[in-house]
Amino acid sequence: MYDLLWHSIVGLMHYKYLVPLVLGTVAGVVGGALPGVTITMTVIIVLPFTFGLDPLQGLAAMTGVYVGGSAGGLVTATLLGIPGTPSSIATTFDGNPMAKKGQPGRAVWLGVWASFFGGLLGGLFLIAATGPLAKIALEFGPWEFFSLFIFALSMVAGLMEASLIKGFISGAIGLIVTILGNDPMLGAPRLTLGIDFLEGGIPFLPVLIGVFAFAQIMSDVEKMGRAGGPTSALERAVNLSASHLKIIWEILSRPFLLLWSSLVGLLIGVLPAIGGSAANMIAYDQAKKFSRHPERFGTGTPEGIIASESANNANVGGSLVTIMAFGIPGDAVTAVMLGALTIHGIQSGPLFISQHPRIAYGIFAAYLLAHPIMVILMGLGARAMLRVVSIPKAALFPVVLVLCTVGAYALSNTMSNVYVLLVFGVLGYGMVKTGFPLAPLIIGVVLGDQIEVNLIQALMTDSNPWLFITRPISGGLLAAAVLSVVFALWQHRRHRLRVAAQGTAEQDVDF
Amino acid sequence: MIGRDGLAGLVVLATSLVLFWLTLGLERNPLVPIGPGFYPRIVLGVTAVLGFALVLADVLARRVARPAAAAAAGPARNYRLVVLAFGVFGGYVLLLPGLGFRIATFLFVAAANLLLEPPKRPSHWLRALALGAATALVAYYVFEQYLAVLLPRGHWTDF
Repeated sequence: MYDLLWHSIVGLMHYKYLVPLVLGTVAGVVGGALPGVTITMTVIIVLPFTFGLDPLQGLAAMTGVYVGGSAGGLVTATLLGIPGTPSSIATTFDGNPMAKKGQPGRAVWLGVWASFFGGLLGGLFLIAATGPLAKIALEFGPWEFFSLFIFALSMVAGLMEASLIKGFISGAIGLIVTILGNDPMLGAPRLTLGIDFLEGGIPFLPVLIGVFAFAQIMSDVEKMGRAGGPTSALERAVNLSASHLKIIWEILSRPFLLLWSSLVGLLIGVLPAIGGSAANMIAYDQAKKFSRHPERFGTGTPEGIIASESANNANVGGSLVTIMAFGIPGDAVTAVMLGALTIHGIQSGPLFISQHPRIAYGIFAAYLLAHPIMVILMGLGARAMLRVVSIPKAALFPVVLVLCTVGAYALSNTMSNVYVLLVFGVLGYGMVKTGFPLAPLIIGVVLGDQIEVNLIQALMTDSNPWLFITRPISGGLLAAAVLSVVFALWQHRRHRLRVAAQGTAEQDVDF
Repeated sequence: MIGRDGLAGLVVLATSLVLFWLTLGLERNPLVPIGPGFYPRIVLGVTAVLGFALVLADVLARRVARPAAAAAAGPARNYRLVVLAFGVFGGYVLLLPGLGFRIATFLFVAAANLLLEPPKRPSHWLRALALGAATALVAYYVFEQYLAVLLPRGHWTDF
């Protein structure tokens, strides 16, 4: 295994792979630094550029985006108090006060090195766990896969604090998208509504690009012209010099904090669709609870920065494990990566690592190499990133939409996918405005076909439906799905009580 | 009166019931015990129940809603601009097959830029046109020439 990993690392040092990896990491760092542009959006923008590349080149670029994006948000979070991505929200709590106290270099570099070490710990887990987990998944029959996918879907839908029903409806809409078109078992046409294009089903990448890109862009367009930008207060002459050895020692002298925060990030990454935004907040909260000086949190303590940044980069490793071992996207970014694999005819899942070891180990190598590249980029361009936030959105958004269009069109060189992009763009924005979460929709679209195929295969093998419960792993996964719903109900009730106590309510409109 | 959630629930309920009804007409293959409508009916049935639950939850919530909470208002939103932005993008999608990538992209980027940041000086018009031209040409060069990704050719312009 380590031989193969070493060969992959050496292979990836070839300029053919190194250039996409570096460019992807640059795009990730810049996208992460731009408030309002998430890592998902950045990976969507990068996607069309990977179509003409070989699979490993494309996946190296996307891995670079993921790693770079997870760290990129910390620069604006610490220096401006504006998190570039949701993954760096908790970094603002202590990073910004530390910068304001006259230590901007220390704040930024604590974040960068914590991202580096957290990411590498995530990488170790990724390399060590993917193979064994994939071996376990190889023992699964259709009953277990069906239950696993239902568990993933129920977790994602149930995690939506504001409305459990809306989370489930969103997942169900995703499943409905997959039942339009020929059935996956026999190819019998169904629910095509007389539209020829629907016979082949709706490809999930234009759906994903449409819902995420438009939901985000149009939500920002709503606010345009209503408030002044945050860039007026930029302090561009900020001094970011710091002693790297001191900073590294500051992090490594807190081994429990680093390991625990990275573990929290990893575990959250492994669970489908929770993502770095939750990882950094939960790790920060844990660090505060375990600290001997919780009162220092929020005033510029290094523990807060280390916890948040190590967790959000370790989270990336966890998400990659889920997609590489089970074929379940850990979040929207890995859903796009799954799409990129599909475009190149590669099936993600338990057989991925044994059938495509070069690509699997290439992803591991790209993940490991992206971290030092990210550190170098931060060293070279952290100050320039402050200028990035001043790019006018009026110029950025049309360009992003053009790239989304190219991404959708180039999937099969037909306009049909561009129409899908537009339709789901409207749907995605409408769902966000009516309070429906988008993550369950995407997981539903990605897993829908697999849920159907495994359900039908299981029932055609043995028509006894009780097998879903009596087979131990399948039953355990379904029990976990039920538990996740019960937990979600409890969480939802707590959220409602909190909202009632604060005297605020979700905005609603009368018709 | 129902609220936004109730209306969304009704749309979900109606859509899933219509699609459920359409699955009833699907033909079964006599050689296969499970037909193509089996799984869609489960999905659509569950969705219909969820849609109904959302309507019910909305009606119940509105009965106990406090007037003060209902009166809470969020920050002002520019929905007109959103509709216009969707319109401009819709126009781009419609014109793309006819005009081809380069011309349609130039027009779209320039129009969207002018829409999102209305011009106050003549130089702003120039800036929008330059942005449109640069986006169209750079994207065309990178995708078609370097990455071998084909972009739409115009039926009307052959460009």
